[in-house]
Amino acid sequence: MSPPAAATPTVAKAITVVDLGLRACEAYGRPDLATRLRTARRTLTDPSTHVVVVGEFKQGKSSLVNALVGAKVCPVDDDIATAVPTYVRHGEQPAAQLLFDTEPPRREPIPLEEVRSWVTERAEPAGTDQPVPDGVEIRLPRKLLAGGLVLVDTPGVGGLGSTHAAASLAAASMADALLFVTDASQELTRSELEFLRQAKQMCDTVVCVLTKIDFYPFWRKIRDLTAGHLRGELAAPVIAVSSSLRARAVAANDAALNRESGFTELVKFLSERIGDRTADKLAGEAAGEVVAVCTQLEAQFEAERAALADPAAAQQVVDELTRVTQRVEALKQAAARWQQTLSDGVADLNSDIEHDLRRRIRDVIQEADAAIEESDPADTWSEMQSWLESRVAHELLANYTLLRDRATALSHEVAEHFQQASGEVLHRLAVPNPTPQLAAAVVEHKVDLEKMKVGKQAMVALKSAYGGGLMFMMLGTMAGISLGPLALGIGLVMGRKGLREEKRRQRTSRQQQARNAVRRYCDEVSFVMGKHSRDTLRKIQRQLRDHYTGLAEELQRSNQQALSSATEAARRTQTEREKRLRDLDAELARLRKLRAQAEAVRA
Amino acid sequence: MNLLERTRSVLGRAIEVYRGTDAARRLVELQRRLDEPLRVAVAGRVKAGKSTLLNALVGERLAPTDAGECTRIVTWYRDGHTYQVTAHPVVGQPRPLRFHRDHGALEVDLAGLAPERVRQLDVMWPSQVLRTVTLIDTPGIGSLSEQVARRTWDLLTAEDEETPADAVLYLMRHLHANDLEFLRAFHDTEVSQPNPINAIGVLSRADEIGVGRLDAMASARKIAARMATDPNVRRVVQTVVPVAGLLAETAATLTEAEVRRLRTVAELPPAEAEPLLLSTDRFLTMKPELGLTDLEREELLGRFGLFGIRLATTLLRRHVATTATELATQLTERSGVSDLRAVLGSLFFERRGVLKSRSALLALDALTRTQPCPGSGAVAAEVEEIIASAHPFQELRVLSALRAGWVTGKPAVIEELEQIIGGAGGAPYVRLGLTPDADMAALRAAAMEALTRWQRRAENPLTSHELAIAARVAVRSCEGMLAWLAGVR
Repeated sequence: MSPPAAATPTVAKAITVVDLGLRACEAYGRPDLATRLRTARRTLTDPSTHVVVVGEFKQGKSSLVNALVGAKVCPVDDDIATAVPTYVRHGEQPAAQLLFDTEPPRREPIPLEEVRSWVTERAEPAGTDQPVPDGVEIRLPRKLLAGGLVLVDTPGVGGLGSTHAAASLAAASMADALLFVTDASQELTRSELEFLRQAKQMCDTVVCVLTKIDFYPFWRKIRDLTAGHLRGELAAPVIAVSSSLRARAVAANDAALNRESGFTELVKFLSERIGDRTADKLAGEAAGEVVAVCTQLEAQFEAERAALADPAAAQQVVDELTRVTQRVEALKQAAARWQQTLSDGVADLNSDIEHDLRRRIRDVIQEADAAIEESDPADTWSEMQSWLESRVAHELLANYTLLRDRATALSHEVAEHFQQASGEVLHRLAVPNPTPQLAAAVVEHKVDLEKMKVGKQAMVALKSAYGGGLMFMMLGTMAGISLGPLALGIGLVMGRKGLREEKRRQRTSRQQQARNAVRRYCDEVSFVMGKHSRDTLRKIQRQLRDHYTGLAEELQRSNQQALSSATEAARRTQTEREKRLRDLDAELARLRKLRAQAEAVRA
Repeated sequence: MNLLERTRSVLGRAIEVYRGTDAARRLVELQRRLDEPLRVAVAGRVKAGKSTLLNALVGERLAPTDAGECTRIVTWYRDGHTYQVTAHPVVGQPRPLRFHRDHGALEVDLAGLAPERVRQLDVMWPSQVLRTVTLIDTPGIGSLSEQVARRTWDLLTAEDEETPADAVLYLMRHLHANDLEFLRAFHDTEVSQPNPINAIGVLSRADEIGVGRLDAMASARKIAARMATDPNVRRVVQTVVPVAGLLAETAATLTEAEVRRLRTVAELPPAEAEPLLLSTDRFLTMKPELGLTDLEREELLGRFGLFGIRLATTLLRRHVATTATELATQLTERSGVSDLRAVLGSLFFERRGVLKSRSALLALDALTRTQPCPGSGAVAAEVEEIIASAHPFQELRVLSALRAGWVTGKPAVIEELEQIIGGAGGAPYVRLGLTPDADMAALRAAAMEALTRWQRRAENPLTSHELAIAARVAVRSCEGMLAWLAGVR
């Protein structure tokens, strides 16, 4: 849907290389390899870079998004805050859609002017029969967004220790970059810094945007103080902007005012440091795919070449390749080491994650019990509710982080085992060739596979498990569960005597009720979250299995072709053989050139 | 015997019981505190504008203010005969400090004391305002330095002793979870359930809500009204008032010279003034021909803020105000600080006796529980009797129960109940929902009518148990008013 405008020269080169690779696949009759390249090409031409805008309430997040795209798409109000994440991305025509995270995900187009009523906090949440959407997607024709930039406006994290904060952190883990918004009225508070620290662990690129600099005369001082806090471990740059000046500058087409607004720097940062960097990363990955394809094709030709060059050795090559067939076959079997690693790993992970969740929830319950023991739920219940919700949300986040990290580690392990086995296969595939260059190439193959597959698969699986883009998983999990009100059993006690005794009696009964409510809530949350984790792991397992089975099939096919050409080579006449050798050398030269090109892009 | 007298007498008894111990000294102190002005702490998150608001209330630039985090020591401002600043170190004897006042704000020389070693600063300052109220400036909650925040916490939630403040003005910029936690900690659970009687919420830096738009205060008022109806807020503060602190502070100390400078801006044609007032940077640098020096511009900005300059120049241009006095009146009015003064008057100062007794009884109750001694049992029983039976405390209990939503009924009835037990102010005309100029006859008629109405409600078998109890308290309130009205005659 977006024009295939290459974001950077690297991307343009990558597209050329992928196209060449595609042509090679077609020429050599390998539609399976072509599929892989086509996927890479699609990602290249329609990339998406998610930049999530987070921060406390009322710091000007929505205004910032509006000022960036130069249109009032996210509603801004002095009082009412954003309640639903809003995704602003490129589109030929301005349009808006509601996103529902149902199974399967549902989209519903709405007129742009209705966005406001869906996105803001509603006065009566229960009064409407319409379901609350999980997100709103807005498409706008903008140059800034054309490179695949997706700006995500999030609900204010409200105290940064809240459920929303946990949700924002979960979203951050899938984002390419984070814009942390704080206004120039004061330096960063402790909770803001704490949030930033956690966010930095979730997402590597974090930028602090200091807003409303038109209004606060001491913004330079605040900026320096903030930059001082961010120096060191966080190492996040600070960019000072004024959304209102930018809005005026856009309306009046005033370049000087635009510079004054600080947005030139922010836009530059977004497009160069974030957009281009992500695009280049994608380009590198696509080029890597081309290299991998070259490796397989080369191996196939090398085998044939070996058989042709030395007729005496031809039978040996054929025998070797036949043995390889069995190995490749074994690679696909359930008994293959990588398969074992995967299924054992997922089983272990399942039980570890569940145990971790149980332990965390048990700790929360203990803490809650202690708190209830010390206070009267009549006084503290509403605070207790929000405390419990955010506490649980943070534990869920930690649990999820564990899942993410362990799944990534598992993916590494599986990749390693697969690559050991397959590297051997590739090695065998090419072994008959005695030339020393190829021995070097064999080493390279191993490196290729290593660089390519490790880690990425787990994130891909995670992203698809959580509904594709970014999702406020925590909120999704916890939305349906509520702690519910306590029947407080408050009698107004008046009179001269017994005031304290009566109060004590009522208090004990309230504490009991509160303890039960906490347990019910935690039970329900761990039930839902447990199911969530199991489903996610199952999806990860399938994703990894399918991915590597696919790779194994590719290898099998390469091997088969090598085998049949080698067998054929043995039957050829001398003239045919010399002619074929020349052809092969030419093909190999072409492939090497392609590989060199791809490797240049990757570097 | 009224509440203050009863409190005084039980304190006297306790002093006898604890004679010769450390506690006795504290009790004497407590007794003296009953006669002092009400102590109001100004608390809130970092940079909520606490010192600025304090200055606005006093009408002088006393407390130092700064763009960075500024107040690091709990500072008491009280009335006295002379100007004097005393430091109370964490360890050691209180000692007088040298101070001077150059550019408005007070500059205190700590004489080598590190701020973290000073428990509190005591500023004695002859002032009309401080005669009725002692103000306590506190370091912000949520401060980056743990120790600074700790100090405020200690001040307001002191354990095992009286809370030093009788009431608190809680400044919030927007509702944060932290704020509520803080408020809850401030409230005790003995005299009544967590209760809004001694706290008023201030939506501070109100001009920033609309980021300096001219209608910012209207927007802030709307938000404050909305916040005041939020059940979580209602449980902890009586009401929420929006105040643009900086504007109020400046209005209280406006000079002729400043008005002259503002006028040069106001006299510009709107088309030229608008770009100048677009941003603070522009105000500082654009139009060098204007006749204002860099320093003057900086000072104006520091004193008024962008919102203040926009508002003041608009008022001058439209001739709403022409003199410095008129401008000061207009700005004070628009800053919301006069509303805050009125609310302080009706909710705190009118209830001074109740708030004072409450602080003292709480401290006494805590003492008898933590340090029992022969005879303290009788004192404890008397304290409980006062707390349980004194009518003002019963009113407070009903009020907090209402605020917490424990007493339910028709909205109109609940609203009337809250009013009649003094939820909006203690004066009879307020309780009866009349105007301030209502005469005695009208007041008496209304009180009689209310009395019968609430008696009927209290006795109606269909009235819920809680409402019936509350209604009986309302009946007592009506009887009290009638007795008072009879006394006036």
